[in-house]
Amino acid sequence: MKTVFINCSPRKNFCASAYFLFLQRLFTRGKKVTERLHTQADVQRILPQLKDAEAAVFCLPLYVDGVPSHVLRFMEQLESYSKENGLHLKIYCIANNGFIEGKQNEPLMQVFENFCTRSGNEWCGGVGIGGGVMLNVTRIVFMVQAAQFVIYSLINLFNTGDPFPLSLVKSFAENTLFILFLNLGCLFYLVRMGHHISRRTSADKRYTRIMVPSFIFIVFADIFFLIVSVINGGVFRGWFAKKQPNNKNE
Amino acid sequence: MRVIIDDLDRNAAAAVESRFDYAVAADGRYAPCQGCFGCWTKHPAECFMKDSLSQVCRIIGQADELVIVTKNLYGSYSADVKNVMDRAIGSSTPFSTYRDRQMHHTLRYGRHALRKVIVYGDITDAEKDTFRFTAERNAVNDGYDRSEVLFISDISELEDVL
Repeated sequence: MKTVFINCSPRKNFCASAYFLFLQRLFTRGKKVTERLHTQADVQRILPQLKDAEAAVFCLPLYVDGVPSHVLRFMEQLESYSKENGLHLKIYCIANNGFIEGKQNEPLMQVFENFCTRSGNEWCGGVGIGGGVMLNVTRIVFMVQAAQFVIYSLINLFNTGDPFPLSLVKSFAENTLFILFLNLGCLFYLVRMGHHISRRTSADKRYTRIMVPSFIFIVFADIFFLIVSVINGGVFRGWFAKKQPNNKNE
Repeated sequence: MRVIIDDLDRNAAAAVESRFDYAVAADGRYAPCQGCFGCWTKHPAECFMKDSLSQVCRIIGQADELVIVTKNLYGSYSADVKNVMDRAIGSSTPFSTYRDRQMHHTLRYGRHALRKVIVYGDITDAEKDTFRFTAERNAVNDGYDRSEVLFISDISELEDVL
């Protein structure tokens, strides 16, 4: 009853795929193995892991309306490996994109379905999550708030003897509930898919998003990129400029 | 400007590519996108990885007509062609807007005329549907007025559909 969870994000730290993979693991029963797909060395490690697995869960970001190129390369290798070793894996997929509409992951899901048909594995559906980057930010905000809560509790303990004054608990609870609300859609569908993965049944495709109206999300997305671009300096290097290639052969 | 991205054999590609103002050879001799957003937030319209694709977004962004010749892979572009596309997101900006009633990034170089995808290799009906759907989404995402997808059974038919 082994399930292999594959984090396909090329990013090393704090990527959205790792967050959704963490949640999906939490909601799945049975033996679980987590792998990260980034380099060719990872491929050589992951393929043997799949040999005695019953299910594989791919967790990946949407790149240009499709599967990232390094994952496509892995899928080609997995197709050959599946045929050589007679694999009949149940394949699940968690795709996330930066735009708010989870439905934008549909082409990626179809590619996975086509891959399963070609490779002899079984397509069991997936969850497409819109606003993945922002949901990941809520995870980081929650971690910061939890750390703050612990620090303030310790300070209160030393100063007043009461580590959990009502105002502190209330503030932390309110913020946590708000973050929980934003994540409600993805939590619901990941719990649902976890149930299907555990039972090895088809979950079909489902799409969800961060729980905010689109017109508000778009403003926050722009503010997010503005802040990151100021920190990284891109704003001062021709942020919107129609740049020309330095060298035609480049 | 007419631009072509192709994953053709290098010997076969020369004659095809000579018909375009600029050719991007999808030969796999480059790194995959690292998802860092640096081409939006750090060095706009430039990738930090200094290989043949470091400024490819500046070429693709300025294409009036973009032709993509790709082998079918599960209803998707081949990994080498998709690698080029993944590394070219600097042709848009990090700011968002609505196109076709969905959220997309604003275009650094404005709208384009035609995006034509020519697919070769073994392909099923389901994969054809996926390809048409994906190309349509790509055209909206990248701001193209027209989008075409053509399927050829043999690479010798390529000259007729370019």
